[in-house]
Amino acid sequence: MRTDITRLDLRLRRRGIWGFTLGLAGYTLVIVALYPSFKNQTSLDALTANGNTLGALLGASGSLTSPVGWVNANLYANFLPLFVLVITIGYGADAIAGQDEANTLSLVAALPLSRRDLVSQKMTALLLMALPATTATVACVFAGRAFQLPLGIWPVLSTTLGVLLLGAAFGLLALAVGAATGSRGTAIAVAGSAATGSYILSALAPAVNWVHPLRFASLFYYSVGNHQLDHGLCWAAATVLCGTCAALAVVCVAAFARLDLH
Amino acid sequence: MTPTPQPRPGEPTGQPGHSSGPYAVRLRGLTKTFGTTRGIAGVSLDVPTGGVFGFLGPNGAGKSTTIRLILGLYRPTAGTATVLGLDPWRDGAVLRRRMGYLPGELSLFPRLTGQETLDRFSAARGLSDLRYRTELVDRFGAEVDRPVHTLSKGNRQKLGLVLAFMDQPELVVLDEPTSGLDPLVQDEFASLLHETVATGATVFLSSHDLDEVQRVVGELAIIRDGSIVAVDTVQGLRGRSPRRIELWFPGPAPRMAFASLDGVEVLSVADNTMMLSVAGAVAPVLAAAADQDAVDITARSADLDELFRTFYRSQHRSEAPDAH
Repeated sequence: MRTDITRLDLRLRRRGIWGFTLGLAGYTLVIVALYPSFKNQTSLDALTANGNTLGALLGASGSLTSPVGWVNANLYANFLPLFVLVITIGYGADAIAGQDEANTLSLVAALPLSRRDLVSQKMTALLLMALPATTATVACVFAGRAFQLPLGIWPVLSTTLGVLLLGAAFGLLALAVGAATGSRGTAIAVAGSAATGSYILSALAPAVNWVHPLRFASLFYYSVGNHQLDHGLCWAAATVLCGTCAALAVVCVAAFARLDLH
Repeated sequence: MTPTPQPRPGEPTGQPGHSSGPYAVRLRGLTKTFGTTRGIAGVSLDVPTGGVFGFLGPNGAGKSTTIRLILGLYRPTAGTATVLGLDPWRDGAVLRRRMGYLPGELSLFPRLTGQETLDRFSAARGLSDLRYRTELVDRFGAEVDRPVHTLSKGNRQKLGLVLAFMDQPELVVLDEPTSGLDPLVQDEFASLLHETVATGATVFLSSHDLDEVQRVVGELAIIRDGSIVAVDTVQGLRGRSPRRIELWFPGPAPRMAFASLDGVEVLSVADNTMMLSVAGAVAPVLAAAADQDAVDITARSADLDELFRTFYRSQHRSEAPDAH
């Protein structure tokens, strides 16, 4: 399989990739370095006590002063998925619809590539796009061992994989909508709204009774909303995330095959 | 209207080394609509292999739509396109390996340098022998060391031309290729076209500019409002183009003596001079001029510009010369 278009798109977004990587790494380092200052401030736990809705909206649950609770509430439950989603939805909306609107896709589409090959290379780029930022984040989380944050290797790695799959799923949704409509704005709006709704469902599930059964409809729940940093990503959740990505990839191929390119 | 020209004596017919048959492009009833918006309607056209084929029309006539259908970027609503013997929509990947393309609204990736652009597109096309590409860069004087967003429109267009020709394709499709180019580069471009067709390749050149087309093309088609209205050679069109004749008289110019003649239009009358547009034989005009004691006459060669304007004016469709 050729990778020319994958490498081209990664090159075109090189600055953004580096920016997000440095930004996330810096933020994560600050979070882990601050932990010793907060680990004994048990008053923080009131934020999540008794199903506090505000704490739930921020993605926090359980003890905020435990190592897992601290990293989850400050990183995995919100900021890391948010950064990854910005990267993947941004690229997914731009890869076809945005480039078509900017007229840069016409030269690429005139290359001797089938539509399937072209969109497959763009999906590969989407999967790789957030890898540097999440890798740097994981490295910084593990650096937290020097700051009294001894998180388990498997839970951190597998939860990070879950975040990557979460980002891939919504990025593929943006790609699919862009391929179906040719509109970058529509792709961002649909994927962004879906991600927001998914986050709210997962975040409020522990605190709001009627939302609780709906958590299974949220990809956030399978990625970071079910105590993954304690136990790791389970196979069932990984299967749901992978299956969603696979289904959306099929939709991307089918939608792009019918799109008129300018 | 479905113009399907037959090969004429003297027309290019292809050379050894390119084996796409007598026609590089064959369109039959090709139609593209965008919802309720017209794209093109029932376009039928044969583009002979091994020549420069001009495709003219005003802005919005359907030139770019036709080109995107030829490249397989659009899916036809109806009709068929056969390009180098293949279906562009179904066999696009194989077909585009044999084609070069310059879009009408060329947009390159602004952060890449010209060199990066050429390298990445060369790699994607599997182009390993870069000597011809280097020759083209030198011929056009293309700027390759600066980011594309710092280049002028003309310099970006040079890169686009290099991208279209660097693979020495069998069919080169060019949409408004000389836009932004200075006259010297336009001359170089014209030379490149002649060299390209001399190898047996075909060039499909779209433009709204008659001057751009008439010095490089053999045969051409005119599209208006999404339909082909004429297919002919430049010489053929010139042969049926109106001539301008100016007459001087000893007294006031006698408009009525000429206005009633077949194929004659009185363009202007001023004092003792009169300007005529003559589409048919000139003998009746000369006879009338003699009857009116004309004292002087000048005649200009066939006015191709005027013919094209006639084709372009959609409100005068019925007055346009017959297409074939």
